Amino acid sequence: MKNAGRGSGLAFGRRAGGTFIALSLAALVGVLDRDAGAEASSGEDHGPVQVATSVCDAQRLKAAKENDPHLQIEIPAEYNQQWPSLSACVAHEEAWDPEAPGPIQPIPFSHKHHAGEFGIDCQYCHSGTDRSRAAGVPSVELCMGCHAQFPPSYDELTGIRILKEHWEEKKPIEWNQIYRLPEHVKFRHNRHVAAGLECQRCHGPVEKIDKLYLVPDTFWWYGVPVKKPEMGWCIECHRSNDHQASQDCLTCHY
Amino acid sequence: MPELDRRHFMKLVGVGAGAAATAACSDPVEKLVPYVVQPEVITPGIALEYASTCTECSTNCGLHVRTREGRPIKLDGNPEHPINRGALCARGQAAIARPYLPQRYEAPTKRNADGSTQKATWAEAEAAVVAKLRSAGGRTWVLGGQVGPSLSGVIDGWVSAVGGGRVVYEPFAYEALREAAAWVFGVRALPIFDLSETDLIVDFGSNFLEAGPSPVEGMRQFTDARDIAKHSDGGARLISLSPRLTLTGANSDQWLAPKPGSEGPIALALAAVLYRGGARTGGDDAAVGRLLSGVDSKALAAEAGLDPEEFDALAKKLQKAKAAVALPPGVAATTSGGTSAAAAVLVLNALLGANGRAMQIPSSDTAGAPDTLQAVKELIARMQSGDVDVLVIHDANPIYSLPPSAGFAEALKKVGLVVSTATLPDETSVEADWVLPQSTSFESWGDAEPRPGLRSVVQPTLRPIHDTKSLGDIFLDTGRAVGAHVASKIPGGSFREVVETAFSDSDFRSVLAVGGDFSAAPPAAVSVGAGVSQIQTGPPTLAGDGDFTLVAYPHPYQGDGSGSDLPWAQETPDPVTKLSWSSWVEMSLGTAAELGVTFGDVVAVETPSGKIELSVMPRGGIRDDVIAIPIGGGHTQSHYGSLSGEGSVGVARGANVISILPDAVGEGGGRAWLSSRARVSRTGRFARLALSQWTDNQYERGFAQKVSLAALLQDDEKHHGEEHLAEGGEAHEGGHDFALPYDPANDSSPDSPYRWGMTIDTDRCTGCSACVVACSIENNVPVVGEEQAIRHREMTWLRIDRFVGDGEVSGGRERRPFPDRERLGDSDVRHSPMLCQQCGSAPCESVCPPIATYHSDEGINGMIYNRCIGTRYCANNCTYDVRRFNYFDYSRENWPGELPFMLNPDVTVRGQGVMEKCMFCVQRINGARQTAKNEGRLIADGEVVTACQQSCPSQAISFGNTKDKKSEVVVKADDDARSYIALHVLNTRPAVTYLAAVGRDEDGRSHG
Repeated sequence: MKNAGRGSGLAFGRRAGGTFIALSLAALVGVLDRDAGAEASSGEDHGPVQVATSVCDAQRLKAAKENDPHLQIEIPAEYNQQWPSLSACVAHEEAWDPEAPGPIQPIPFSHKHHAGEFGIDCQYCHSGTDRSRAAGVPSVELCMGCHAQFPPSYDELTGIRILKEHWEEKKPIEWNQIYRLPEHVKFRHNRHVAAGLECQRCHGPVEKIDKLYLVPDTFWWYGVPVKKPEMGWCIECHRSNDHQASQDCLTCHY
Repeated sequence: MPELDRRHFMKLVGVGAGAAATAACSDPVEKLVPYVVQPEVITPGIALEYASTCTECSTNCGLHVRTREGRPIKLDGNPEHPINRGALCARGQAAIARPYLPQRYEAPTKRNADGSTQKATWAEAEAAVVAKLRSAGGRTWVLGGQVGPSLSGVIDGWVSAVGGGRVVYEPFAYEALREAAAWVFGVRALPIFDLSETDLIVDFGSNFLEAGPSPVEGMRQFTDARDIAKHSDGGARLISLSPRLTLTGANSDQWLAPKPGSEGPIALALAAVLYRGGARTGGDDAAVGRLLSGVDSKALAAEAGLDPEEFDALAKKLQKAKAAVALPPGVAATTSGGTSAAAAVLVLNALLGANGRAMQIPSSDTAGAPDTLQAVKELIARMQSGDVDVLVIHDANPIYSLPPSAGFAEALKKVGLVVSTATLPDETSVEADWVLPQSTSFESWGDAEPRPGLRSVVQPTLRPIHDTKSLGDIFLDTGRAVGAHVASKIPGGSFREVVETAFSDSDFRSVLAVGGDFSAAPPAAVSVGAGVSQIQTGPPTLAGDGDFTLVAYPHPYQGDGSGSDLPWAQETPDPVTKLSWSSWVEMSLGTAAELGVTFGDVVAVETPSGKIELSVMPRGGIRDDVIAIPIGGGHTQSHYGSLSGEGSVGVARGANVISILPDAVGEGGGRAWLSSRARVSRTGRFARLALSQWTDNQYERGFAQKVSLAALLQDDEKHHGEEHLAEGGEAHEGGHDFALPYDPANDSSPDSPYRWGMTIDTDRCTGCSACVVACSIENNVPVVGEEQAIRHREMTWLRIDRFVGDGEVSGGRERRPFPDRERLGDSDVRHSPMLCQQCGSAPCESVCPPIATYHSDEGINGMIYNRCIGTRYCANNCTYDVRRFNYFDYSRENWPGELPFMLNPDVTVRGQGVMEKCMFCVQRINGARQTAKNEGRLIADGEVVTACQQSCPSQAISFGNTKDKKSEVVVKADDDARSYIALHVLNTRPAVTYLAAVGRDEDGRSHG
């Protein structure tokens, strides 16, 4: 047994690399962003030659060209890279979209890109959710387990640069909490996972959302509008489940 | 209609969400800060336990340190440790606050010539110290407390290389007892007592349940030896000799109050009676014969103030007993003749046949055992003559704990460079030129050897919070920097490697898992030698000519004053007087009346060495010619121990009794604590003391009941003839005659397989209050501070009620301001742990307007904090006075700095205006339920252990499911002769069943 306070173990990330390159390839083939496609096709007279100014720009132009073969594009060699993929570029932008709901996070992390497009299991990153009351937020090391193996061209994305900066400075990432329960509520993730609940049941379709926000799920509970994650919302489920779940106050409040 | 694309949809929703967010924007944005590198063993939300060792006192109990996300949050006893076997005392529990205390030194600190201080780096600090060490030329001394064998070895090597000497200084060094073992058995070591197989224990002032060298072990063995289930005759009897009623006296079957300091002569007188009766030691009996031949037992007993009949009865009991043991005087009873007294008790033990059975003498003392006061005084003389260039002080606070007449403070000024390694500012470290703060034992590696061969490991459970180093590394680093001649004499590597090497004969990982190497061989047999001839019989030398003998006794939680930094050591009421936060002077009711003072009046206590002023605590349980003051108060420097932490500079809380003691050295160079007479005079002032229990009269209400052994042996049919009512005994037969017992199992939802209940055996409860502190730490109960405690706003969910006898309903409803029912020689003290009874028919529930308190499906009287609006109706209606109200934001105000890190994340921290109370550690029940549910079964018996139950040294508390008729809690409560319910006549139907104490006193000495 070691001193619990001194983090010295290398816990994760050994097996990550290979899997991830395969996953990203699959995603690149399968995914086309509708927004980018729509914008590109709107330019009817192909106009002057469009010159890519970044890898992401290049990816976007390439995709537009696929839709509209007459498009004049020029991609400088330095930007003619395979990575970052178009979907990564789009997700990166969307996750920091100031117009979108939810708080701006220190890193434009897209759940849609990771959980949706790559299909990474929720518990790969939020490990411990099946064992502990806390869902657990992945460590920087876990992020770097995959991202350290990505080609340098990825550094074009600000988010990747911030992540690497945190890793090099061994500085934790201060995420803004979105799903927050008051201190007097003792929620146990593991019990709910063991009961077979989908994460989405409470957290909404995170795999479809780039910039995470508290998915509003207001409903009328005894004539009172109840929002997620307020108590009526918890009780509604605890009550409906054929009395399998306890409705005793001390189950959650102590 | 244009298609609503994703982006537009999001925008619309965003407006809605934004509006909603604005409406509910009162919540601050919380940050989620995950690890950079998550340690493999840590899963956020899951507690990890590490085996370690308690370093609060030299008993060195084994610990399981419970940590959450790398922070220790609770200390439990290590069940595998042979000394404490899973239990932990109140002070040990309170020690959890130590690493988080707000006043800790955060970095090396230099004191300038003008007295101001400045922080420095370790490099600067060590360079300054090393430069001086190089030039000191063999005049470097180390003065420090007892440390583990590995560290002791490092310090010894360091001292011998830099040149100079080392004195191990512990205020409570038990020098007299160590020396007595040398006189009687030829081995200088602390005897080890095992009371579990005895049938008579005579305590010659050791106060082994409260102070003693090993209180947790003592309590376990004592209650095992008189377990009524195993010993139908009541098991071991305890006779306590002490001028004041101590916790040991309160648990004794007979309390004798001879003159203070007469323990030795009485032991010798008893030994003479036994010897003349034919008892032999099996050793050098000729020497014993020579010693005892001149002893006039009757005269000695009379001189000690013992009634001749009492003395004869005592001697007869000893002669009749098959496995009797005598316990030698402890700190409070150590006089100038302390070694003789202790030696007389050891001889008595040998004559009783306890040598090698209930008493064992180790074949050597532990490594790094403390030196005598004489050695300290020699060092002071050396300092005074300018012979000490560098003085390193570690783990000791000599300016506080040595009498001022010893001259340490003055001598310190003549030392070239004073280096202190204190973690917290104390009276000594503020005088040091350099403070090189050492890490607490929660942050460092180490080991301990509480007994020869029994090695316990200290492993860090917390990364150092401040810029501190472990003491071992401070010595290793400075030693190497001084030069190669020092480096060659100290081990290489870090101190962690030194500790690992110390355990190299076994697998270090398994040592860490177990908590040490406990495979110590039993010591070899020793026999009494000719050294017994040194035993003297004279009365103790007392300085001064006052009317009263001054008894300074160790505070049960603050010890020699080193525990007074701990918030819970201050807040927890002393188990005997029920006072907290300050110092007091105990005097008899008669003395107080004569002086014209009463509870809280300030008197001046004057000895030839000085004068202090403190408030009076009048008691019935103290001799008229004795006043007693606890050691531990009167600090001017710590945050909780003094008032300086609350803003006023250098103001003491209470008074330091050591400051009026002479620096008397007794036989064998040991410290004589009982060494002074005192005068007491009124000052006319009044200073209220924080008294948690204002009466010891239970007005015949039967909170703490006692059944005589005779009645028990006749199979007293106390409840015979009463029908068990099928549906729980609501039938009212008129008057107070409710049918009992009812079955608490009926008071939960019929759908629930559980009704949690508790059985408390008051016959095992010694009143030590370990449970009180354990409960408070587990449940984030705040300390309220002295002022609020005086106003009776203490927050402890569990308290130990202390009553004398059955009490009486006196004429009228006169309310006395302090407990006054103790009588000299009367040991009928009852302890009754009082906590929420989780009533099946709870008076609190029906009066709560917002239904914040309710009866849960599992029979727990739930208190839902976020629903509480603070009407306090429930507390008014509570029969047992166990509900606590947060008048202020105690948890925020009284836990400054890092202290909130010790909070249990599984329990809500209550804010101002909220009622709170015990809920049977529902967080632990819910934790166990989770495991059980995952495995698809019910919670098994013994799976839920409440905090109070876990800490109890005497295992007085059982907890479990009363619906499971085979559970321990039901089986134990099924004792018709002893089980009772507190205030059963009110039909509140509690889930707590008490088992009455057993009156083992043959002469029927008891109230009513």
